[in-house]
Amino acid sequence: MIELIELTKRFGQLVAVDHINLHVKQGEIFGFLGPNGAGKTTTIKMLVGLLKPTSGRALIDGYDVVAHPMEAKRVVGFIPDQPFLYEKLTGVEFLKFIGSLFGMKKDEIQPRISDLLGLFELDGWRDELIESYSHGMKQRLVMSSALLHNPKLIIVDEPMVGLDPKGINLVKRIFRQKSEEGVSIFLSTHTLEIAQELCHRLGIINRGKIIAMGTLSELTKDLEDKTGQTGTLESLFLALTGKPLDD
Amino acid sequence: MTDVVLLLWPKAKSIGNRLKHRRASDLIRPVVMVILAVLFWVVIFAVFYKVLVYFKSIEILGEVLVAKLLAVVFLTFFLMLTVSNIITSLSTYFLSEDTRLILSVPVSTEKVYLSKYLITLGHSSWMVLLFGIPVFTAYGAVYGAPITYYLWVAVILLVFLLIPGGLGVMISMSLVNLVPAKRARGALVVFFVLFLAALYLFFRFLQPEKLANPERFSELVDYLAMLRLPTSPFLPSHWATRSLFPLLKGRFDDSMFYFLLLLSTGLMSVLAGSWISRLLYYRGWSRSYESRGDKIRKVPVLEGLVDFIMRPFHESTKMMVIKDVKIFLRDTRQWSQLILLFALVVVYLFNFKALPLNKVPRISFYLENVISFLNVGLAGFVLSAVAVRFIYPAISLEGRSFWIMMSSPIELKRLIWSKFWTSLVPLLLLAEVLIILSNIFLHVTQFMMIISTVSIFLITIAIVSMGIGIGAVYPRFRVEDVAQIYSGFGGLIYMIICVIFIGLVILLEAWPTYVIFMARIGHRSLSLFQWIEVVFCFCLTTLIILTATFLPIKIGLNRLSRIEI
Repeated sequence: MIELIELTKRFGQLVAVDHINLHVKQGEIFGFLGPNGAGKTTTIKMLVGLLKPTSGRALIDGYDVVAHPMEAKRVVGFIPDQPFLYEKLTGVEFLKFIGSLFGMKKDEIQPRISDLLGLFELDGWRDELIESYSHGMKQRLVMSSALLHNPKLIIVDEPMVGLDPKGINLVKRIFRQKSEEGVSIFLSTHTLEIAQELCHRLGIINRGKIIAMGTLSELTKDLEDKTGQTGTLESLFLALTGKPLDD
Repeated sequence: MTDVVLLLWPKAKSIGNRLKHRRASDLIRPVVMVILAVLFWVVIFAVFYKVLVYFKSIEILGEVLVAKLLAVVFLTFFLMLTVSNIITSLSTYFLSEDTRLILSVPVSTEKVYLSKYLITLGHSSWMVLLFGIPVFTAYGAVYGAPITYYLWVAVILLVFLLIPGGLGVMISMSLVNLVPAKRARGALVVFFVLFLAALYLFFRFLQPEKLANPERFSELVDYLAMLRLPTSPFLPSHWATRSLFPLLKGRFDDSMFYFLLLLSTGLMSVLAGSWISRLLYYRGWSRSYESRGDKIRKVPVLEGLVDFIMRPFHESTKMMVIKDVKIFLRDTRQWSQLILLFALVVVYLFNFKALPLNKVPRISFYLENVISFLNVGLAGFVLSAVAVRFIYPAISLEGRSFWIMMSSPIELKRLIWSKFWTSLVPLLLLAEVLIILSNIFLHVTQFMMIISTVSIFLITIAIVSMGIGIGAVYPRFRVEDVAQIYSGFGGLIYMIICVIFIGLVILLEAWPTYVIFMARIGHRSLSLFQWIEVVFCFCLTTLIILTATFLPIKIGLNRLSRIEI
């Protein structure tokens, strides 16, 4: 579903993403780990069209994000870490708007909105202006909008920011369910517990380069080999990057 | 005091950093701004100089009038500064992003109050100071005032600013304890705009052009001399006038007494503000976060109308237009300015109704048609001014939500064209109302009516297109206030380009219109050479209009597609 080939992004002298290669299969939940400034958000922004790669390619569902951005974007549901929304629209109006941007028909948007608002417990706020929502509610609304058009791929930057334990549990459940339905999920996170619990495979990025990739057990073994130490994924990660995950 | 300085430090440092990291290409902006400011000063200075010289030449009353005008200036400053301080302090004390952090650190409320007071004062007073420089210089120049006068102006102004500053903060602190900050700011903005519109209409309906008639002018002079309002002894504007006026002649008289009145009241207002802040600030701030925001303003008729008009368009384009219309109508700071726009239209049309053109019939027929033609240019300038406020910011108003458009499977040209259509319909409506009604008042010929309505139609399309296109070239997605968008460098460039464009179109249309008009009046047909001239001029005009319509959109689209967020 995702294929990154020598993907690179430079900001002047700074190489934020440095020739990374990775592949995410259909139905797979892929966790992208790394300390702050490692290049996680930059990679995600290139995938969803907010940044243009300096070199290399990023393919989504076989479409190059630079050459065929519309086709690539059509299959993606994007959840950013900061939910900046149109504050003067209501929740329902916002979702209707997003549905029309993704080319959904009027008669299919309405029932889908009701389902998602119910699922994310925003029913009672559907006709309130978004400016009156809390951070967590805005985050849940963004998630609803990302799922609205039944995407083949969900890209999430820090999925649990601003969510309460109940919300976190709900999101985990939805992601698992979506994965079983064949939807791929690419999530960047600091929270190791979530990565361990949810992801089929993990990639660790540091200073723009992927330094380890594989399943949890493969990764632990790989990290043990590289660092010559045994321990939890977090302690090994720390030894490898010199930074804690939530730095 | 150290804490206050510390609280101001991030603001000062940000300004310093912005100046330090300025690139060579960024120098164009301040240079253009300085040139425009100097031009503005020259015009204000010239107007005041002329008026003062004239007033001074009137026997007996001259001195009184000069003093009254100074009092009026100070009173206007005082009122504007008070309102401006109320609105600004609602933002700085209650709505700005840093307040949350500042209130959570162990610094006393009084110190937070003082640091924010200084920020409020800076934000709300610079404009008045800027306007004041040429006014006070004109006074000095007319009277040949000594250097002490100019120094005293600086001192008086600094002390004078303290009073509306303290007053504004105290009013906003009290207000927020009654109504949440956002709603209070919205209501105040509407009130202020209504006030300005009423003031504008009032002055226009006074028909100041009648001053040209010497008999009527003497009435005004008497009236001004009798006017009591600007000289009420309890107003700080009166104290400032009384303190400054003797210095024009190099004397101090009771300047010091009035200065001390200003100083003590100013300091007292700062102190009283501090007491009030201790009582009300935290409570008001807390209240401003308890509200659930504005009530939704639903206008189903308008939504239905937009839905109907946009029927031929793609569903997503239609939804983008509906979204923009809803957001506009729900933002008090946006729609309230329509009140000013309405006042502007009324005055514009009133000007044509009040034109004394019917005194000499033969000349007036000719004049009416010439004015009708020039009216296209004038309306064009008015439309540009409206467009820089409402249309130029259209792309920037996507704000931080722009990621939604960027990550959606929507081509950016659809976004740009949706903004174009949203802006075009209301501006066209305004343009045609201005032109058709003013032409009716002018009793123009059918030919002139057709020429001017078609011309303004095409000019408006280009004005909208340039607004959207240039707005996309200079997008500002991270600003908190829409004023920061249109008052910036891009807005200035847009206005300059609009002026050049309208001037060019009017110049090119003038000759062929004149030739055809005169031929029709004289019941003659055009010669072959005249036909060539006419066709050439109209073709060139069409080319310019087409270029001004499509090129900016193309450039804006190109710039927008290269944006990274």
